[in-house]
Amino acid sequence: MSEEIEVNEDLMDLNEKIAKGNHELFRKNGIFTINIMGSPGSGKTTLLENILPKLSKLYRITVIEGDLATQNDADRIRKTGVSALQINTGGGCHLDAAMIASEFKKADAENTDLLIIENVGNLVCPIEFYLGEDLRLVVMSTSEGEDKPLKYPPAMLHTDAVVITKTDIAEYVDVDVRKMKDNVKKVNPKARVLEAGKVNGVYSADQVISYIKDEQKIRCAGA
Amino acid sequence: MHETALMQNLIGIVNRQVREHHAGPVKKITLAVGKLSNAMPDALSFAFEAMTKSGPLKGAVLEMKEIPVAAHCDLCGAEYQPEQFPFFCPMCSSPYYTITRGEEVYVESLVCETKGSVKKEDE
Repeated sequence: MSEEIEVNEDLMDLNEKIAKGNHELFRKNGIFTINIMGSPGSGKTTLLENILPKLSKLYRITVIEGDLATQNDADRIRKTGVSALQINTGGGCHLDAAMIASEFKKADAENTDLLIIENVGNLVCPIEFYLGEDLRLVVMSTSEGEDKPLKYPPAMLHTDAVVITKTDIAEYVDVDVRKMKDNVKKVNPKARVLEAGKVNGVYSADQVISYIKDEQKIRCAGA
Repeated sequence: MHETALMQNLIGIVNRQVREHHAGPVKKITLAVGKLSNAMPDALSFAFEAMTKSGPLKGAVLEMKEIPVAAHCDLCGAEYQPEQFPFFCPMCSSPYYTITRGEEVYVESLVCETKGSVKKEDE
């Protein structure tokens, strides 16, 4: 004899629950949180190295870095004067809400108003795991190809903005930045598309800085 | 390869359901996988096989069914089943939409042996 049991439980329920707890904790401490995702080598850490000096004049920042191994990225962040924590996932391809909950205990919550999480380099798995963030950024470099947005729809769908990096080398890798932007919009017309790269030899990510400032203002005003 | 993490959650959900329902050994698990879920059915099967070689779910069969994508037009409110990106509302042609179905991965149901029935198939 056998019986059928109706379940209807999502496999992400547990992570969602922990992530909501993280979000409440961040909010209670007045912290605005950003989750940055992108392929390995897309330029996530370089973007941070370049925006942190300007953002740290406005906010008290803590960065959580996620990588399979090494403290390299946390070291790079610390060189900008911002405090950084490093999660090593071993072989794990993404950060999950429980990892953030546990790592955040080491952070100086009282002296943080902007928490930036740099996820493990991967454009698939991290997308599925809500960490409790307010804002999501996907970083994608021109060298990944014009049609990359079309090949990774979930990443485009579950982000607030896409930052196209390495715009300065676009012509050398035969990529039309405008077409790449259009491809983001084809999947998610609501996503903001921003650019970062060297202009006359100097890295510029002013669009990203203004976007973060605006979103922090809008989203924290309602809290 | 976050499919292993998903399977770990599946095993947790199934074991808890079995306990709560005082059910016998699990024969079949039906898993609904959204077409846009980012989870690969083959990788899910592989992870399931590897993770249930022993333990309470040994011998259980994992059956998967695909959930098609459904969208809600942000402009006129029409519900439609989009095919390929870019999505356009078939009623008003708007490119603005919200996905309402097809991203989820959930345990739909279980078939278990009734407890008290002869456990001859087990072990």
